[in-house]
Amino acid sequence: MWRLRLLPLLCLSLHAEVSFNRDIRPILSDTCFRCHGPDQSSRMAGLRLDLRNEATAPRRAGAPIVPGDPKNSLIIQRIEATGPRLMPPASAHKTLTVTQKQLLTQWVAEGAQYEGHWAYQPLRPVPGSIDSFINRSLAAAKLTPASAADRPTLLRRLYLDLTGLPPTPAELASREPYAAIVDRLLASPRYAEKQTMLWLDAVRYADTCGFHGDNAFPAWPYRDYVLRSFLANKPFDAFTREQLAGDLLPNATREQRTATALHRLTRTSAEGGIQPKEYLAKYAADRVRTVSSVWLGATLGCAECHDHKFDPYLAKDFYAMKAFFADIQETGLVPDRGKDSWGKQLLLPTPAQEKRLAELAALLKPQSVPKAETFGWVVQTPARFEASNGAVLKLAKDNLLIASGPNPDNSTYTVTLEAAPGPWTHLALEIQSDETLPGANMARGADRLVITEVTASVPLSLAATNTTFSTKDLPAMAALDGQPGTGWGVNTYGDPRAAVLSLRFAKPFRGGRLTVRLHHDSAFRRATTGRFRLALSKEPLAWPAPFDAKKPTLAAEVTGREAAFHSGDLARAKAQLEYDLLRATLPKVVVTESGQPEVTRILPRGNWMDDSGAVVEPAIPQFLGKLSTSGRASRLDLANWIVSPDNPLTARVFVNRTWRQLFSTGLSKVLDDLGSQGEWPTHPELLDHLAANFQRDWDIKKLIRTIVLSEAYQRSSAPTPEMLERDPDNRLYARQSRFRVEAEAVRDIALAASGLLTERLGGPSIRPPQPDGYLAALNYPIRDYSATKGPDQYRRGLYVHWQRTFLHPALMTFDAPSREECTVNRASSNTPLQALVLLNDPVFVEAARAFAQRLFTQAKTFDGRVQLAYQTALNRPATAAEIEVLRGLYAQAKAELTPASAAELLRVGEAPRLAPKHDVEVAALLTVARAVLNLHGVVTRN
Amino acid sequence: MTPLHRRAFLGRTAAGFGLTALQSMLGAGPGLHHPARAKRVIFLYQAGGPSHLELFDPKPKLAAMHGQGMPESFTKGQQIAQLQGKPLLCFGPQHPFQRYGRSGIEISARLPHIGGIIDDLCLVRSLWTEQINHDPAHTLMNTGSILAGRPSMGSWAVYGLGTEAKDLPGYVVLVSNGRGGQAQPIAARQWSAGMLPSKFQGVKFQSVGDPVLYIDNPRGMNAKLQQHSVEAITALQRLEQQSLGDPEVQTRIAQYEMAFRMQSSVPGLMDFGAEPASVLEAYGAKPGDGSFASNCLLARRLAERGVRFIQLYHRDWDHHNKIKEGVGYKTDEVDRPTAALIKDLKQRGMLDDTLVIWGGEFGRTPMSQGGDGRDHHIKGFSYLMAGGGIKPGTVYGATDELGYAAVDNPVSVHDLHATMLHLLGINHLRLTVKYQGLDVRLTGISGEVVKGILA
Repeated sequence: MWRLRLLPLLCLSLHAEVSFNRDIRPILSDTCFRCHGPDQSSRMAGLRLDLRNEATAPRRAGAPIVPGDPKNSLIIQRIEATGPRLMPPASAHKTLTVTQKQLLTQWVAEGAQYEGHWAYQPLRPVPGSIDSFINRSLAAAKLTPASAADRPTLLRRLYLDLTGLPPTPAELASREPYAAIVDRLLASPRYAEKQTMLWLDAVRYADTCGFHGDNAFPAWPYRDYVLRSFLANKPFDAFTREQLAGDLLPNATREQRTATALHRLTRTSAEGGIQPKEYLAKYAADRVRTVSSVWLGATLGCAECHDHKFDPYLAKDFYAMKAFFADIQETGLVPDRGKDSWGKQLLLPTPAQEKRLAELAALLKPQSVPKAETFGWVVQTPARFEASNGAVLKLAKDNLLIASGPNPDNSTYTVTLEAAPGPWTHLALEIQSDETLPGANMARGADRLVITEVTASVPLSLAATNTTFSTKDLPAMAALDGQPGTGWGVNTYGDPRAAVLSLRFAKPFRGGRLTVRLHHDSAFRRATTGRFRLALSKEPLAWPAPFDAKKPTLAAEVTGREAAFHSGDLARAKAQLEYDLLRATLPKVVVTESGQPEVTRILPRGNWMDDSGAVVEPAIPQFLGKLSTSGRASRLDLANWIVSPDNPLTARVFVNRTWRQLFSTGLSKVLDDLGSQGEWPTHPELLDHLAANFQRDWDIKKLIRTIVLSEAYQRSSAPTPEMLERDPDNRLYARQSRFRVEAEAVRDIALAASGLLTERLGGPSIRPPQPDGYLAALNYPIRDYSATKGPDQYRRGLYVHWQRTFLHPALMTFDAPSREECTVNRASSNTPLQALVLLNDPVFVEAARAFAQRLFTQAKTFDGRVQLAYQTALNRPATAAEIEVLRGLYAQAKAELTPASAAELLRVGEAPRLAPKHDVEVAALLTVARAVLNLHGVVTRN
Repeated sequence: MTPLHRRAFLGRTAAGFGLTALQSMLGAGPGLHHPARAKRVIFLYQAGGPSHLELFDPKPKLAAMHGQGMPESFTKGQQIAQLQGKPLLCFGPQHPFQRYGRSGIEISARLPHIGGIIDDLCLVRSLWTEQINHDPAHTLMNTGSILAGRPSMGSWAVYGLGTEAKDLPGYVVLVSNGRGGQAQPIAARQWSAGMLPSKFQGVKFQSVGDPVLYIDNPRGMNAKLQQHSVEAITALQRLEQQSLGDPEVQTRIAQYEMAFRMQSSVPGLMDFGAEPASVLEAYGAKPGDGSFASNCLLARRLAERGVRFIQLYHRDWDHHNKIKEGVGYKTDEVDRPTAALIKDLKQRGMLDDTLVIWGGEFGRTPMSQGGDGRDHHIKGFSYLMAGGGIKPGTVYGATDELGYAAVDNPVSVHDLHATMLHLLGINHLRLTVKYQGLDVRLTGISGEVVKGILA
């Protein structure tokens, strides 16, 4: 719109001469290059218009371009022709405007000078400053810049841009100098969180694998690496090297290896029946798209099947880039469960954890355990049985107890037996799997079964299980450790075996009445037992075998882990438990490991089944130069080239993205395409000025500081009629821009205003509440959603579990990308579903409640409360008219609410409540706080 | 290229514009590239890969060769999914076929209700696709691309034509399960607006909890108080707009009004109470059961309310084993409601301008898997189409004698999309958006309107 309406107007009025890059290349690229450009396969009439010597070469009918002579230039004749001679032809569905035809004609008349594409030209220092370049173009356009924004508006803008959170009323009132605030914000962890959020879009970071079952994979330590890097202001060249090739750096540190998770963030599939070769091709192509888009601003992905249609990238360049990644060790089918799940990984213990693990390992020296032969289970008939929280236990045949009826998140099953005379040595619990049970076919709800504790009227001492097929974060002894946060159970699915827990009595049980309680207090929802039986044994050593088994199934598998159970060594059992739980909770991250590179061939038309293409070696796109390496070039060579002065693209790409973050639109609008279909920058000298400076030290904070200290950044965003008329899209920066904040910030602002926000840098992802059934279309496994409890549920949006195929609805509705693919330019829409989220999502209703409680306690009058609400959420005072509207709402709410409905409204969420005597007042104030949190101004950066 | 053509893709600039893409391309007023034959689409998507060989494509030769090796001439060099490295044996149709209607078209005897309306249908026996695993095959069928981030066909339809629904989204997705337990996952990507603004994305109605996410008022807040709240919010927004002059505020006010209208209208939409017992019975729908039958009835109700694109997913067609039993379950679930929907639309005079499409992401192999099932198959499978602009009572295209490959008039996914858009009055070559330097369209770089199925 701008390019077509505004720019030509400006060009014609501002520039006497036509510029190829600014005026002509966009027209040729969009309308001619498809058939007369770099791609040989679709070239018509053997004619190229992207090269001057070909375009001006005489042909049978004349020369396509005769410099200085439009009349005799075939291209001018053809664009003015009618009927079948018209170019572009009707079938192309491209029509040249009158202005475009004039520009082409003028350009030919002026000598048809070509220029190399701007983004591929070497980056040279351009003296000047942001304001000098911008003011020059404003003067040329005869636009008067807006005055400086008022301080509250400016501070809100700065805080939101740099940290993703608005200032508090106190911060707003402070007299701290602007430049000092900039430095303080840039040094804050919140700055790192904001930058990380944007970076994660680009590198398509998510917490799940994206194909098929879309199961969770260990990625968050990479997110924390990015956080630490931005916080420490790691130079962008080092940041680049570490992510692309940290594993190849000399004496690579754990941090540098963590960075290489970048290449492992591709979507992966564990669907049975995939053709591994096909998926290896998909994974590699994704890496080429990501790296070329994020670092080169290039749509190299378009050259997977053919030479690029608009830019000088050849299909060979795509595969030569792909060859850089051919050393990454991976499989086509990436298992999403079991011991081989997710391929190569790095364990990340803290030094203290590492020390403790070593100590425990020393205590747990391997111990040879004799092969177990005994079990002797006698199945017991329950005399009485019940379940708490509404669930119902029913006795079926074979003494099986089946849970049914209401399906609460947590439940305790109590079973009383009348045992025959003993002495009994062991009690056992056998969980039977059943296809109708969704959770690992054993639990009633969630994707796993967790018995957090087993207690009995007779003390129990040791436990062992046959569930070696499960992962080790649910060890048997965790059922006896008195900790509700740990438990025994099963967390994988599809294993048909019965899971058995054998529990030894501290002292032999003489028989008679025995009451057993199975506690299901897990944070995972409905991780409750579906079908189970109890048995007793008199054997001195009763192994955990299914009750009908002829032989203990695990006899041959007895290892050190069961040694304590065998020997009765309680200390060892406890050490083993600590070791198992510690190991299971150590952070892990998928990483890149280098191996013998696979042979890379050009795939004709991208067809992975076609092995006839030529073998290619790793190389950068040919037109950008050649790497001088001895032998095969590596990912590290690629990284070094990317951050070398020889590469004209990366600094421009990064600066352009950063500009967009602070001004709403890039200096060149198409952030992921600086090629010929991208946009000629509005201020090319400014872009190069900033990029050349950035390339000198790759200092990101310095770049941002420079921009936010400019006058242009600090201008008011209020447009004058003149600006709206002359520059509606604000591409000349006579004013600042207004735009809606990102999805994460929509959440964070509400949490911050309410006082609920929990701030902590890094750590595992969290799961805010989301509607039941939202994941119902997922499978393998079927899953329930277990929301995070306690303060962690109020962490920033950055930390929300990123489920690629079903992103949290509040984030998705506000345009957060699924991160299935690299995204550097989030869309921003304005939809009714957004209104429903802000009005009705319990997370936002809870925020309104906590906000109301805060207003209620911190201000005494209604006017004072509204003023506090506006200052907190909008960073401005409320007007008298606004207070009156809210006073009306407050009165309506008080009339409408009863003590009962008020109490119900206030019940939302876990945050503490005020005394019930204030319920109606606080609930009415909730509606006021909610109205404020729904305002356009709250989610708008101005 | 016209201005609005680009306008939706300006990143952060306002996407809440009122005009649709075509309206702006062609000037004011409802605009189409050519007269439309259909105003809306109901896509009955059978997810998992329904077997054409048990349902729509009788192959006596395959029955005759049951148990014999599949001739290598068919399979050599072709893609294969779970049968990689396994013997390839012919597997005869597991259900008998029968001729129906005046047209005498032969389909499964398991589909008597669909057979009863066969003269209203066009059976395409020559679909083919490129992706052999569920997730990418769904993505191709829905978006015309295997790359994540491209708009789904419903989003394209709403982007191009807008919607006539005043208080509902223009693109609604419903999902049902049935018996059988082989339900493959379906990602939200399948109804995503991709790089189009999210206002064009499909809104999935839930079968559990609120039918539309967050459509219910907070607990304890009655409708009146919700209304007061929305009114107060609107009043505050107007005050804000007066002081700021930001046109985006006006859009947001409109979205709140629309949200409130949705809150009022969705309960009525979901309430089947006004439907006569005879209608419920014809569909086999039990209110609130979330079944395919109920969703078919809901689809008609959505169509009546002006929703542009209605997509029903029925899962669980992935019959790697026990295909005889599995297809039995599925046909029990879909036969009656599919036929009831088409009859119901016809009776109400809506079939003329509603395009109904029935099919999945791929078909199944003529070869057996494990002796009682069939693997994924991409070279040939069948689709049913009916309604607006479709030639009724016809068969189009054919697979070879063993049902392996579409050999006669093959129809690609892009051809299907091109035809669908054509019937909606859209030239698929001209509905494009600029993305990463390309004029992206639903049909990628190919696709031709299948003239042979047009009425």
